[in-house]
Amino acid sequence: MYKKISRLQKLMILTILLFCIPSILFALSADEIIGEMDRLSTFETTYSTGSIQTTDRFGTKTSQFKSWSQGEKDSLIEFTSKAERGQKILRTEGSLYLFYPDAEQLIRMQGAALRQSMLGSDISYEDMTEEKNTLDNYTAKLEREETFKGNACFVLTLTAKSRSVAYPVQKIWVDKQSFLVWKAEYSTAQGRLLKVMEVLETFKSGERVLPKQSKIEDKMKKNSATLMTIDSFEANPHLDRSIFTLENLTW
Amino acid sequence: MKFIFSLAMKNLNRYKRRTAITAIAIALGLMMFIIVDSLLLGIELESERNLIWYETSSVRIHQKEYWPDRLLFPLEEGIENPQQVINLLTENGYTATKRTMFKADMILYSDDFGEDGNLSVMVTGIDPEQDNRVFHFEDTLVEGRFLNKGEQNGILLGSWLAEDIKAKIGYWVTLLTRGNGGFFEAIDVQVVGIVNCPNPNVNRTLIMMDENTAGAVLGMDGAVTELDILLPRGADVDIEVTKIQAALDAAGLSELEARSWREMAKDYVAIAETKRGGTAIILFLVFIIAAVGISNTMLMAMYERTRELGMMRALGMKDNHIRLAFMFEAGGIGLLGALAGIVLGALGNIYLVNQGIDVGFLLRDMDIGYRVQSIMRGTWSSKSFIITFVSGIALSMIVSLLPIRRALKMDIPACLRHQ
Repeated sequence: MYKKISRLQKLMILTILLFCIPSILFALSADEIIGEMDRLSTFETTYSTGSIQTTDRFGTKTSQFKSWSQGEKDSLIEFTSKAERGQKILRTEGSLYLFYPDAEQLIRMQGAALRQSMLGSDISYEDMTEEKNTLDNYTAKLEREETFKGNACFVLTLTAKSRSVAYPVQKIWVDKQSFLVWKAEYSTAQGRLLKVMEVLETFKSGERVLPKQSKIEDKMKKNSATLMTIDSFEANPHLDRSIFTLENLTW
Repeated sequence: MKFIFSLAMKNLNRYKRRTAITAIAIALGLMMFIIVDSLLLGIELESERNLIWYETSSVRIHQKEYWPDRLLFPLEEGIENPQQVINLLTENGYTATKRTMFKADMILYSDDFGEDGNLSVMVTGIDPEQDNRVFHFEDTLVEGRFLNKGEQNGILLGSWLAEDIKAKIGYWVTLLTRGNGGFFEAIDVQVVGIVNCPNPNVNRTLIMMDENTAGAVLGMDGAVTELDILLPRGADVDIEVTKIQAALDAAGLSELEARSWREMAKDYVAIAETKRGGTAIILFLVFIIAAVGISNTMLMAMYERTRELGMMRALGMKDNHIRLAFMFEAGGIGLLGALAGIVLGALGNIYLVNQGIDVGFLLRDMDIGYRVQSIMRGTWSSKSFIITFVSGIALSMIVSLLPIRRALKMDIPACLRHQ
């Protein structure tokens, strides 16, 4: 037995629907959030300087670097601190090279070698030179929305599509406005927490918000953390294409 | 000739004290050679055995692409059908076992170990039922128990590693590793046994777990990183490697490569070769001892008997005969020294072979390349005794030539006037 709906009731339902439609139509899917996150963290070209501070049970060590990047695939890092001065890491599509100036030796890193820690930090070579193609490697699921350090965030779970990525599961807190990843938890497939990345400070480059200082903690090892700081950043500078060549690496 | 020989023997008898002192000097040198050679040969044999029994096996099979990157333990280059290969090897009369080697960070917890920490380790996944047919770890268990097939959380530790990290049976650790493809994986494991492996390199670093469990953690999908084969003692390893490779190629498994223990343990082979050079130096030192002793004795004899020498030459004895007489005399001293050296060397070697020298306190924290953990034992080598005997006599005779030549250069009147 259906009850007849009054005009007032019809109006109310219509009003509620009208209010809901924009949020249904304009709500971002997990893939869209990730796509936007990747897009906003990728520049045509960049030049930056910064430092990596590694703390472990043996103490604290700081390494300074200069970095150039071009699109998603090309990047060059040159260390400028005294102990590693002149060491370079070049990543071009599908290849990663290390150059040690003292030995005048150029090493092509591939396979298992890429998984080695860079300068004893919690960052591996593959982490440092990761391509910005998250959706190629992960399936994203929007879990909820949450406020993190006063910023409204999407909380997403990324599950690896293959075994060729380091972290089988990632949980990330993405800023709803700037699409900056404020926090990331890296876990094994069984859900064991391995590392936690947290952005401590940000800076603006045009309209984009980027991390100025991030802390990566190894949750498996006590008192092990890496602090990555960007001291200067230039978006879309003119870069000579030869920067990302092997010839340039061995200068 | 008989006269010359009997003259030499009489001279030996006339100067008993000098003969005895020189013979003792030679004997001590040769005894040293026998003992050092026995010890080095013993260490070499024991090292080879400990290498094959606990580290490399006689022959190992890898994927061809695995070998160049072996220090990085590339799990992607695994043997995908290990059982098929093992069956093929069994058909050809070989005993083989499968293993998976991988690197991991071992995380230690303060609950058990008193403080938190981590260290980089190498873990070996073994088939507990088959592994002891190729390797000999079961005999070295000193605490706890051996692994069971399919065991999910058990590990075995080498006793030196356990000592270093203060691990005891029942302690838990976490192994953090990168699986096949590069993904991170962590597994909690408990120490179920401690083995005291006679190979120090292994005992210092050994961590073993069940191969099936390791395979599941690493996402190996049934693949393993290596197959190990034990050959019977005395088998020619190079010939067997060729045969195994031929069998693999014939079965369409040419992507696999067999390697002998010699190729896998190049560091050890290089040390053994250096040792052979060392033996030659010892032999040279023995030669110097013998040469100085004999040369000195002969020189003394020459000076004492210069007038006698002049008389013999004046009576018409040929220089060659005089030279021969003195050489026989030197050979006689060499013979006495060699016999005494062999007897002393054999007596010393009985102790070395049966008891040995305990150098565990030195080797505990030092890697000398040899795979011997504590007691260095000697061995019996007939070759060493023959070399000692022959070189003792031959060297004595050769070095005596120098002073004889000097005496024979003097003219007869000068010899007769010699005081």
